[in-house]
Amino acid sequence: MGTISAAFSIMTQALDADQAALNVVANNVANANTPGYTTETPNFQQNQPLEVGGVSYGDGVTQTGATSARDRVLTERLNQQQQLASSTGSRLTALNTAQALFTPDSGSSSATAGDISSDLTGFFNSFSSLEANPTDNSLREEVLSSASTLAADVSNAAASLNAQRSALDQDASGVTSQVNSLTSAIAQLDQQIQSASPDADAGTLEDQRQQDLSQLSQLIGINQITTENNGISVTTTAGQPLISEGQSFQLTTGTVNGVTHFFAGGADITAGLASGGGELGGYLTARDQDIPGVLGSLDQLAYSVSTQVNALNNAGTDLDGDNGNAGNIFAGQAQVAGSAAGMSVVMTDPNHIAAAGAGQGTGDNSNAAAMAALGNQTIVNGETPTDYYANFVSELGATVSNVQTENTAATASVTQLQTQNNALSSVNLNDEASAMSTLERSYQAASQVFTMLNTLMASVLNLGEQSTVS
Amino acid sequence: MRVDPNYVTTLVGSLDQAQASQQQLTAELSSGVSVTSLSQNPVASGENVLLLNQIQQDDSFTQSTNLVTGQLQVADSTLGSVVAQLTQAISLATQANNGTENASDVKSVSNQISGILDEVQSLANTSYQGQYIFSGGQTSTTPFATSNATSPAVTTYNGDADINYLVTPNGQKIQLNVPGSQIFLGSGANSVFGALNALVADYASGTVNTAQAVSDTAALSTAMGYVSQQRVTIDNSISQVTAAGDAVTNVQTQLTSAQSSLMQADVGQVSTQLSLAETQQTALEDVIAQMESQSNSLFSKLQ
Repeated sequence: MGTISAAFSIMTQALDADQAALNVVANNVANANTPGYTTETPNFQQNQPLEVGGVSYGDGVTQTGATSARDRVLTERLNQQQQLASSTGSRLTALNTAQALFTPDSGSSSATAGDISSDLTGFFNSFSSLEANPTDNSLREEVLSSASTLAADVSNAAASLNAQRSALDQDASGVTSQVNSLTSAIAQLDQQIQSASPDADAGTLEDQRQQDLSQLSQLIGINQITTENNGISVTTTAGQPLISEGQSFQLTTGTVNGVTHFFAGGADITAGLASGGGELGGYLTARDQDIPGVLGSLDQLAYSVSTQVNALNNAGTDLDGDNGNAGNIFAGQAQVAGSAAGMSVVMTDPNHIAAAGAGQGTGDNSNAAAMAALGNQTIVNGETPTDYYANFVSELGATVSNVQTENTAATASVTQLQTQNNALSSVNLNDEASAMSTLERSYQAASQVFTMLNTLMASVLNLGEQSTVS
Repeated sequence: MRVDPNYVTTLVGSLDQAQASQQQLTAELSSGVSVTSLSQNPVASGENVLLLNQIQQDDSFTQSTNLVTGQLQVADSTLGSVVAQLTQAISLATQANNGTENASDVKSVSNQISGILDEVQSLANTSYQGQYIFSGGQTSTTPFATSNATSPAVTTYNGDADINYLVTPNGQKIQLNVPGSQIFLGSGANSVFGALNALVADYASGTVNTAQAVSDTAALSTAMGYVSQQRVTIDNSISQVTAAGDAVTNVQTQLTSAQSSLMQADVGQVSTQLSLAETQQTALEDVIAQMESQSNSLFSKLQ
């Protein structure tokens, strides 16, 4: 049977529920700019009705906490794309730095400093000029000076690439400590979530875990699997566990062949991390594939040119009449690797350039012609030096361009997913204003009913007399 | 449907892109170069290397032609002088052979031809920029020397038979020198020095063995014809060098124009793009400003 007291009780609960809901709204507004915060909606639940004499009476409302507006599939998808975008992003930065060493020469009149293609042409051209007057000292000096320019530009480029590689190595190893602190934090959160909220969304704790996972996704490629009691396990893309059962497994680093390698539980997982994604994936791909590829091409060029030119110089006759032992122009290279960094001119006396053919008089120019012809011979991996260099810059440009396209696509995808996720999970102040307004009205209504009930109760207590209780 | 409440962030991202695009276009306009990094146009970057290589090779060849033309012209004019000297020697010999000269005149002819011999030898020992031009590859060795120990005297060649070639960018080989032995000491009747030495000896005593002297004069005449033939080789080289130089200059002009159209920025196109990018930026800025000026939330309407 309904009583005025019961009505009082219902209204009190309504006021409590509205207050609690207003708390949720206030919390949403307060966290509107908090990174990783997921907007919450208050939950109202109708109380169990009372059955009195076969008649059912409503028993008011209870506020049963708040639910975070979260789509786990969407956030996981966002994390995956973030890994791809970060990986291509850090790789692109490295490649852009590398390609800046090989800026295209814009004009024919003034060769850009450090332009290896002009240097190559200039070097072989200096032998063409020497053909015209093989005993001329200034033309001989020109050969040595163009050789020095070529060697200096090639070795400078190689030195810059090596320096960039070390910088990438440091960047990569710097990521490890961030990854480790994030995995520890996630593991700890995982334990809290499992004990506090094993079968429902853990709200703020879950927000923090998602935020940490999102940060981790920027750093390395991961897979995440939801386990029982609302826990997660995280592995690297290649499958090495990082977090399992509330435990984190730390990555360690060590130096192998002069570069940093990454270990998980004693196993070397560097190759898996390189292809995995995240900033670390990009750094490692640039460090272990892109930069060594560029360096390898330069090494091959430097090795072939140095070796062939030296061999020809030692096959001719120099201005002093040395036949077959005029000496090396470039420093001799024992192997292809490191040839670019080690390219230098060892000849100091221009008279030792063997312009004349074997056994010929010093006025002969046949060896100079042969050295000039090297520029048009397939001496570098079956290509002429210029063709080789042209292909090299085209390939490097195409690689950078491809990575740029991948990065643009991945970034666009991240933006799109982020927009979708924001639409679902961000705090929309308009929604909050509207919710607050509704709750305020509801609170006002409840208060009003309470006041009316109060008046009613006074009338009942006074039994018609106005003066006693007001 | 819910919308992303942070759309201004996306707009700012677009604004950044518009600015980056303007920066790139401005750089293209100010430098005049459309390809400023390899990744912008990898194919053009590779093509550019090849074109510049050819242009620079052509440029270098043009400079080489200037160097060799000088040397070839010196050789040509030297041989011209040699022919003039030999013509004079033949005329003197013909005069001595006609039987009207007395012994002292004949001796004088011998002396004059001997003087011509010295002159021709000095011409054959001509050097250009310190290098003997008729000694084959032995350009630091004086090519000809005459020994008077025997009669007739003997002129010997100390150079070699080496021939230098200049290779044009398309692989054509142009002969740069003719060894002195080929010009001045040809076999048999083609030897200039042989004929001159013989004539000096013929007239030295003042008595002329007419048959021998006539035969030696004829030999000198043949040798002179042979020198002229060798001179033709030099003349041919000069015209080849000139023709190759002209051809290379033409090719270079074409290549430079191809290289420019490949790498240079199209100012009209870039300016249009820049103008579009500027319009976009202004539009975006206006949108963002308007969004910000209007209060961004319903809260401002609630009293």
